[in-house]
Amino acid sequence: MDAKALSRHGVRRWTALLTTGLVAFAGLTACGSPGAGETAAGGAPADGPVEVDFWGWVPGLEDLVETWNADNPDIQVSFHRMTGDDGQKVQAAVDAGTGPDLVQLSTHDLPDYVINGRVQDITEHVAEHEADYTAASWASVSFDGRVYGVPQGIGPSGMMYRTDILQEHGIPVPTTWDEYLEAARALQAADPDAYIANLSPGEIGQWVQEVQQAEGSWFGIDGDAWTVGINDEASMLVAERWQTLLDEDLVTTELMWTPEYWARVNAGDIATISYAAWFPTALAENAADTSGLWRVAAMPTNAGSDNQGDSGGAAVVVLDGAESAAAAAEFASWLNGSDETQEALITEGGLFPSTVNGLDSPALLEEQEFFGGQAINEVYIESAGNTPATWTEGPNWGTAQTAVLDEFAEVVGGSQTFAEALDNAQAATVDDLEARGLTVNE
Amino acid sequence: MAVQTPSTAVRRRALGGGRWVPYAFVTPFVLVFLTFMLAPIVIALVNGLYSSQSSGLGFGGAETVFVGVRNYARAFADADFLASFGRVALYGLVQVPVMMVIAAVLALLFDSALVRARRFFQFAVFLPYAVPGVIAALLWGFFYQPSVSPLVQGLQAIGIDADLLAPGTVLWSVANISIWSNAGINMIILFSALQSLPRDTFEAARLDGAGELRIALNLKLPMIAPAVLLTTLSTVIGTLQLFNEPQVLQSITPNISSDWTPNMAIYAVSTLGRDPHLGSAMAVILGLVTLVVSLVLVRFTNSSSRGGAR
Repeated sequence: MDAKALSRHGVRRWTALLTTGLVAFAGLTACGSPGAGETAAGGAPADGPVEVDFWGWVPGLEDLVETWNADNPDIQVSFHRMTGDDGQKVQAAVDAGTGPDLVQLSTHDLPDYVINGRVQDITEHVAEHEADYTAASWASVSFDGRVYGVPQGIGPSGMMYRTDILQEHGIPVPTTWDEYLEAARALQAADPDAYIANLSPGEIGQWVQEVQQAEGSWFGIDGDAWTVGINDEASMLVAERWQTLLDEDLVTTELMWTPEYWARVNAGDIATISYAAWFPTALAENAADTSGLWRVAAMPTNAGSDNQGDSGGAAVVVLDGAESAAAAAEFASWLNGSDETQEALITEGGLFPSTVNGLDSPALLEEQEFFGGQAINEVYIESAGNTPATWTEGPNWGTAQTAVLDEFAEVVGGSQTFAEALDNAQAATVDDLEARGLTVNE
Repeated sequence: MAVQTPSTAVRRRALGGGRWVPYAFVTPFVLVFLTFMLAPIVIALVNGLYSSQSSGLGFGGAETVFVGVRNYARAFADADFLASFGRVALYGLVQVPVMMVIAAVLALLFDSALVRARRFFQFAVFLPYAVPGVIAALLWGFFYQPSVSPLVQGLQAIGIDADLLAPGTVLWSVANISIWSNAGINMIILFSALQSLPRDTFEAARLDGAGELRIALNLKLPMIAPAVLLTTLSTVIGTLQLFNEPQVLQSITPNISSDWTPNMAIYAVSTLGRDPHLGSAMAVILGLVTLVVSLVLVRFTNSSSRGGAR
């Protein structure tokens, strides 16, 4: 590490402490540890196992780590569970020099991590495994021909729906967004307590999957410049759809994941939930009383298109400061790509695989009791095949996401429209990119 | 002369050592102060003048360059950041007086002979302070969500349709948590100030025919003015630094934006927005505003109490 990089690291470290308001003692540890880590990195220990710190959120990772540790005495992995995509925590930890070696990260965040040097280029360690992964997922971890992570699951879209509610009112399962609007109106007319959907102003994935379905993208690359498309044509189409549903009071607007939200799902207030392949596991866990009442169909489509969407995938990345990138990458490749792990990742983890062997795994087509014995992944496999390759990840996902969600809250609050919200978020995102010195084609 | 007696040598050494004793005593404070107060401020000041800059698509890496006051210009151009100061000002205008009145009334009640089971009630009022702010916000969060709240459901049962998380009410729901948490500690501070007052003054007042209320308002309150100022000041500063409660409630309501208070805006920019340099500049602005408000408050109360004495 050269002097400039070192001092930048130091400045970032202090800022992270100051501005996130970490307590004083965290400050002491943050000051102490990087020095020790750096000297150790110089002379990798010849004796004793290499230790790899791994943070992740997929259910069941503990058991897989244990299996690996038993079989690989040379590389011992210690696992720390995160509650979810803990973007803030990971970034602060890396900048403070107290980050893990290996972390599960949303691929939306990856370009920012690459630009700011928070992840290591692991091309030489993982390139040989490229054929084990789907082309789209491998592309999501590659920038400028270099590979920065090992794909771990994607999020193809589907629509979970309550068979009992739709049947009770004689409403057919909507297959297009036009039918969806009709179903929404019919449902409200039949039962004022029942809504076709919940529009969560805090859940970016549900928005992104529909933007992608309409072949839009928040970011794009035009030569040596970024383009920003938060208010692109596709997004405006989605905006119009939800504006109508919102204006006609056909949807609830609870924040997803809150007790309030799950209470309404359990009460049968919400008839459909369009979301990624990993959501059914969460639904089964939080709405156990509604077991057997749900089925999964494809997310409604736009006129004249079979497109589905994807709310975003994840990858396991080797962070800046990891002592042995080779060992960390070796474990990550085994965890995500080996035949040994696919079944556990699919059944326990609820992951939709980004691996070739995972897609072939019989575990994927298991029938699910919660969904009345339906092999729900048949729907998601087809959805993954119908996802257009138009989405590009961009360098300031965090800012863009925060801007969009803050604006959406005002839409749900009734003080502006979705179209206005998207224009505001577009402007904020472009401003932020330009303030970082990046080139933006407007 | 040339030969010193042992006793003078000892005395000299003791004297020489004696000069260092005060320094030895203040050293721990000075070290902690330098490390955790001064150094972070200096680093924030320096950091706020730099920016992490990339070029083109950015994959060539980023470098930290000096940008002067550009981060400050961006902060002042950010309407939402400025609005967050307005929001905490409005919050403070209501929350601070309410909190101080509650704390003062409770302290005066406990100090008078009117309250039975004084220790129990004092403990009950103080107890919420022992609950960490984040936990308090989580607890109240459940009371605010209609489907799981006995409070909201109870109100509905008697015909009141309350939405405690609506855009217009959420500010006061936050204030409620902070009053619940902090009224106790302010009450204790005021109460101990009351307890140290000389009792014979009140005896004299009573003999002159003053009632308990009159004694409380005209004697006790003016006599504990410094303690009132202290608690008011810390409450005002706490208002400007508002973070825990709204940050927690943010996960259950969309009506708290990521930049709802100045501290939340700083947090959002530094972590979600990944721009710690801009965050530093914003933190310096918040620090200066806090300083100015505190100085004005101290100056104002000093001059008014001096005016009162004359």
